[in-house]
Amino acid sequence: MNIVVCAKQIPDPAEPGALDPQTKTLKRDGKLILDESDMYGVEMALQLAEAAGGGEVTLVSMAPDNKVDGLRSGLAMGAAKAVLVSDPALAGTDALGTAKVLAAAIGKVDGAQLVLTATESSDGYTGTVPEQIAAILGMPSITFAKSIEVRDGTVYVKRQTDAGYDEVECPLPCVVSVTAGVVEPRYPSFKGIMAAKSKPLDQLTLADTGVDAGSVGWGGGGQEIVGIEDAPAREAGEIFEDDGSGVDKIVAYLENLKIV
Amino acid sequence: MYQWSEEQLMIRDAIRQFVDKEIRPHVEDLEHGDLPPYDILRKMFATFGMDAMARERFKKQIEHAHSVEEAKAAGLEPPAKPAREGGSDPSMQLIPIIELCRVCPGMVTAMGVSMGLTAASIMSRGTIAQKERWVPELLTMEKVGAWAITEPNSGSDAFGSMLSTARRDGDEYVLNGSKTFITNGPYADTIVFICKLDEGNPPEERKILSFVLDAGMPGLEQSKPLRKMGMHSSPTGQLFLTDVRVGRDRLIGETEEVPSGGRDGAKDTFSMERSGVAAMALGIIEECLELSVNYAKERVQFGQPIAQFQLIQEKLARMEVARLNVTNLVFRTIEMAKAGASLTFAEASAMKLYSARAATEVALEAVQLFGGNGYMSEYRVEQLARDAKVLQIYAGTDELQIVAIAKDLIRR
Ligand SMILES: Cc1cc2nc3c(=O)[nH]c(=O)nc-3n(C[C@H](O)[C@H](O)[C@H](O)COP(=O)(O)OP(=O)(O)OC[C@H]3O[C@@H](n4cnc5c(N)ncnc54)[C@H](O)[C@@H]3O)c2cc1C
Ligand SMILES: Cc1cc2nc3c(=O)[nH]c(=O)nc-3n(C[C@H](O)[C@H](O)[C@H](O)COP(=O)(O)OP(=O)(O)OC[C@H]3O[C@@H](n4cnc5c(N)ncnc54)[C@H](O)[C@@H]3O)c2cc1C
Repeated sequence: MNIVVCAKQIPDPAEPGALDPQTKTLKRDGKLILDESDMYGVEMALQLAEAAGGGEVTLVSMAPDNKVDGLRSGLAMGAAKAVLVSDPALAGTDALGTAKVLAAAIGKVDGAQLVLTATESSDGYTGTVPEQIAAILGMPSITFAKSIEVRDGTVYVKRQTDAGYDEVECPLPCVVSVTAGVVEPRYPSFKGIMAAKSKPLDQLTLADTGVDAGSVGWGGGGQEIVGIEDAPAREAGEIFEDDGSGVDKIVAYLENLKIV
Repeated sequence: MYQWSEEQLMIRDAIRQFVDKEIRPHVEDLEHGDLPPYDILRKMFATFGMDAMARERFKKQIEHAHSVEEAKAAGLEPPAKPAREGGSDPSMQLIPIIELCRVCPGMVTAMGVSMGLTAASIMSRGTIAQKERWVPELLTMEKVGAWAITEPNSGSDAFGSMLSTARRDGDEYVLNGSKTFITNGPYADTIVFICKLDEGNPPEERKILSFVLDAGMPGLEQSKPLRKMGMHSSPTGQLFLTDVRVGRDRLIGETEEVPSGGRDGAKDTFSMERSGVAAMALGIIEECLELSVNYAKERVQFGQPIAQFQLIQEKLARMEVARLNVTNLVFRTIEMAKAGASLTFAEASAMKLYSARAATEVALEAVQLFGGNGYMSEYRVEQLARDAKVLQIYAGTDELQIVAIAKDLIRR
């Protein structure tokens, strides 16, 4: 079974991020790493391919400046190949534009039956791209998967809910978004790391995808960032001196909030 | 090379993640709770496929050894050693050493003695059957190895005052003696025991022989771990042999005819051990420097960060000089190994001497820079300082390295 995993490459959250005063967006000129949210998708895909007794895992990504470091991490974990769409014309693309580009790139992967994404990225976190991809590709989609099984052309998903999980299924091909933390992403083996550089990595421009240039980039999104402001400073909390009645005060406070 | 490649950095980052997740939380138990390091090492080997790689490399070496034997038997020129492939870049061994040493140098001591010294001494002079019997499980850490030369009365003068003996008895040998300061001694499954063949001749003329022992053999006793200054995560112990009977199949090489009376074989092993020490020193230095720079910028005295004081700056600058020098030595070993060249004995000694001293100096200066906190376990540099000190003692003391370097210079 061939599986596509959407792999977003993001600035390392461990590094202090910076905003570009001109575009008012996050600076992405440094090294980009594989979004941790997507590592779960990669791990899930590798496990599903192993369980199916074969099939390729392909990574699909859209990122500025032909950045590939994050994709190499996924390839080192065991993905077979990767497709990257990178084009200056994509600067400022919104979530829908991103979905169009990713859907077009997924369409170029031979025999892709299952598309995995994270439920939301760690930097943009609109959480909208997966369903948009599904809609564009005309595929059914299931969100918040905590486990996935594939049998006889059907995907069986345990879909995480507030109370527990729902059991849902849908026919292949489809798009499934994977909840963070549900599997333990593997470490890349040394062999995997050494092999990553020689695995196929297709680099596509916007023109290669066939997506209309007018529907992406700053213009296509029809969005404008008019200003950025610091988040308001948090107000000082309430301090209880514990003179022996600390427990009562906390309980009263929580009761007031209707928590207990 | 002057910097790590992209792949090497990926390997480093992956190991670093493993160390953060699997080792840092257990440092307390490894250091003070007598948690042996072996299971964590095995997990590291399996996680990164280091075990599979070692098995593959071993298989190729054995295939080569077979083809050499066959050619010799047929009276033909033996085939050349197969060229090293990408998979055998020494950085794959050195990077884990560096990263582990930033946190727990004892784990490297335990690992290095097992898969380095013990496996290497069988690999370099053993018969094909002996290699197949003992080496693969040592290379993957499935079995723990120990290499025993030091005795209570024989350390730097390892061969001169060695009292352990092998005596022939029919087709067998009877081994006697006691060894001390033996890394992994308390837990070893496979032990290389170095002793003198007693033929009734004067001790200085006796041949040096090495035997492979398995834990549990009658007459072999392994002590509990000894208490020591540092390297707590590396169990060190004593071995006592009382009339241990072994067949010729346990005599490394299955022959008493060893070049220069067996005194050179051990020297090869020393050389390798000394290069590994440079990588260990680098890990300790890198960690101490990083911790020290951060601390110096944060700790405020007399109204300013201590990093503003020139006496503190001098410490940081010297640490950086040490880091650069030891890094260059490590890069040099990698380049040389890739080119198929090896350090001379004197060069290996020089590298070990410098790196060991640099690590100890840097770690002790880090303790000083941290003040009272430096003396407290919580700030970690005191552990690294205790650990670093042994680099100047084992694998040949500083003094013995100096003797080796000077001898070589004067002989030229
Ligand atoms: C102001 C602005 C400027 C931008 N500039 C650029 C630019 O210069 N170049 C550029 O390439 N993009 C650019 N983008 C696109 C942006 O990086 C996101 O990919 C896009 O907005 C998706 O939003 P999200 O992260 O909220 O997705 P979510 O819906 O939160 O993502 C859910 C999941 O969808 C998948 N996914 C989402 N985005 C990607 C992706 N890019 N690649 C692979 N998988 C993905 C992942 O699995 C992800 O976890 C820009 C976006 C904005 C808003
Ligand atoms: C933690 C640890 C692990 C060890 N692991 C192993 C192991 O796995 N296997 C093993 O076989 N051994 C092991 N050893 C032993 C180690 O190799 C010896 O301790 C070391 O070689 C020094 O020998 P010694 O202790 O007998 O000191 P000595 O030889 O007694 O030295 C005492 C002092 O005299 C100096 N000295 C000696 N000779 C000269 C000379 N000619 N000129 C100038 N100065 C001289 C020394 O440098 C030293 O300062 C280990 C030791 C330690 C501490």
